[in-house]
Amino acid sequence: MSHVSLENSEPFLKCFEVLAEDKSCIVSDSVLYFSGKTGKGFITVAGIASGIEVLAVNLSQLTEDLTFHFLPSASASSYLLCFDEIDVPGKGDSDLALAQSTEASRQFHSTVSIVDVVKGKTVTYPKDRIIRSLIVRVKRQSLEHLIHDFDAGTISTILQSTGNEATLTWPITFKYRLLLDDFMAEIIQHPFRELFTIRNISILIEYLLQQFFVMNKLSQDGNSLSTQDTHSLSRVEQHLCLHYKKEFPGIEKLSRISAMSPTSLKTKFKKYYGETLFGYYQKNKLEHARKLLDNKVPVKVVATEIGYSNPSHFTLAFKKEYGFSPWHYLNPH
Amino acid sequence: MKPQHPVQTVRALHWHQLQLPVGLQAAAIKVSVDGLELAQPTFDPNGLVLTFINHKGDLHVRPVGRPQAEEQPASPGLGLLSVATQPLLYRSSAPILFSALVLYIPVAWIDLFIRDNAQFEKIGQILEQEGNIVTCRLGRRQMSLFSAALGLLQENPGDLLSIQNNLLSLLEYFLCNRHRSLLGVNPSSDIDNEDDLTLIREVESYISEYYCSDTFTVDSILKKTYTSYHRLNFLFKSIHGMTISEYIRNKRIEKSKEMIADNAKSISQIAYEIGYSSISNYILAFKKVYQITPGKYKKQIDNMV
Repeated sequence: MSHVSLENSEPFLKCFEVLAEDKSCIVSDSVLYFSGKTGKGFITVAGIASGIEVLAVNLSQLTEDLTFHFLPSASASSYLLCFDEIDVPGKGDSDLALAQSTEASRQFHSTVSIVDVVKGKTVTYPKDRIIRSLIVRVKRQSLEHLIHDFDAGTISTILQSTGNEATLTWPITFKYRLLLDDFMAEIIQHPFRELFTIRNISILIEYLLQQFFVMNKLSQDGNSLSTQDTHSLSRVEQHLCLHYKKEFPGIEKLSRISAMSPTSLKTKFKKYYGETLFGYYQKNKLEHARKLLDNKVPVKVVATEIGYSNPSHFTLAFKKEYGFSPWHYLNPH
Repeated sequence: MKPQHPVQTVRALHWHQLQLPVGLQAAAIKVSVDGLELAQPTFDPNGLVLTFINHKGDLHVRPVGRPQAEEQPASPGLGLLSVATQPLLYRSSAPILFSALVLYIPVAWIDLFIRDNAQFEKIGQILEQEGNIVTCRLGRRQMSLFSAALGLLQENPGDLLSIQNNLLSLLEYFLCNRHRSLLGVNPSSDIDNEDDLTLIREVESYISEYYCSDTFTVDSILKKTYTSYHRLNFLFKSIHGMTISEYIRNKRIEKSKEMIADNAKSISQIAYEIGYSSISNYILAFKKVYQITPGKYKKQIDNMV
């Protein structure tokens, strides 16, 4: 198990020194590549110029857990925003794997969180998982600069009211997943790295705030969910996201996965994610389609790719969601 | 030329302006007027201005203070990058529905995020020449970002983060996908994407090689080039002004016309040789292109000789 400890005053880049020492890693141009002996993938640091530091972790097949300690610092006035997506490899293939991973996923599941640096934070990346994670260290001042003063005020009030933990955590949604996908795919060779980073972080913060206010409202109304429910729901959410190429699994299967009754699953999912089960599945599916279309993949191919047997069904669904057909999406003028 | 319609004065047109948290400035406008003569809001002269426009009607653009002769027609759904010292002027002498988003990028911001980049250096070189504008066409994704940002700026300017995200995405797209400069390129051609152009050239050479074969179909092109019929048709229409089957037919008929003029073969022979399986189809097609049957055409040529 390897540890990296960072003071608040130290730049994220410093963790490369520690990692490069005891691992067989290659560091080049602020990217640290894992060579394959201890894991695959890369860790990179971005956003230094803008004062919003980003540590992007895109790793799989780690042979041992990797832990980052962000040491608490009483004088610091920064937040740590963490966007973690942790998947079990090959999980999509069988229900058996799903059942086996239940125990593990209770411990390491995909979440987004805000932490006050005063309290510090420990992030552990488990071995044998697919990890995509962004850790953003942003000065309170910059965050307030980035959003309304009012919103920033609310966040700090709520963070203080959570007492010792000073952490707000929510399950991840498909929007984050898609953005993390994009980010990891492009960050290394993007020609405008800093611009790309600030753009993505700004969008992530927008998602985070939207979620923050929905969750805040729910808990004010006395509708906050138990930890058990949260885990169950995020398992369902993960299943829907992973299996977007297959047919909609059906409410019965989902209720088995979540160990909830169909009715309570439906109502709770809607409340928590703001979408019905099918609506959520469909939105995610069509976002994938839209990304394919952005890459100029022909409509017919896209339809097959995301699991439609009939292209006109795909066209209809696409039109219903976005208001224009895939063909018009490709040729707007 | 003075427009005949009453023109709304520039003052009456109102730009919605906004300071974004990341340090950019934004302004938006959406108007429907009988005639347009509108200058961009002025910003601090150190920096760049990126404008996204969309409109229904006829629009011309030039930097303020330049002679009208240097005006360029602008197509809808366009991003224009110019230096802040030369705000752009939009003019239309006909009724127009015009919307624009202006993004001011201060020089400090450029230093921080964009400079030290080969691609940006090229853009910078073009901009250094006086009065130059760098343009880029927007795709559907960008058009929806554009209209979302425009709507928010006008109706819900409090939602800074959404506006900022839309604009940052547009900016990134512009910098990554700029394909040509407005000046020196024929603006009437709708295709400015190099991939599309190569595709069309490829298809054209394929057609000119095989169009006389009777097994040649549009389907065989689609299979070869991995495009859809609609997409190819769309590209052909924007470049040649005709559908792909019309293009093929015209090529065949042109060839047959030459063959008739050679006077070496009978019309039925020619029809089979250029790939028609029935003579009546060929005659119909010939008539469509030249408004005369091939037989009559042959007679005309014979008479002339």
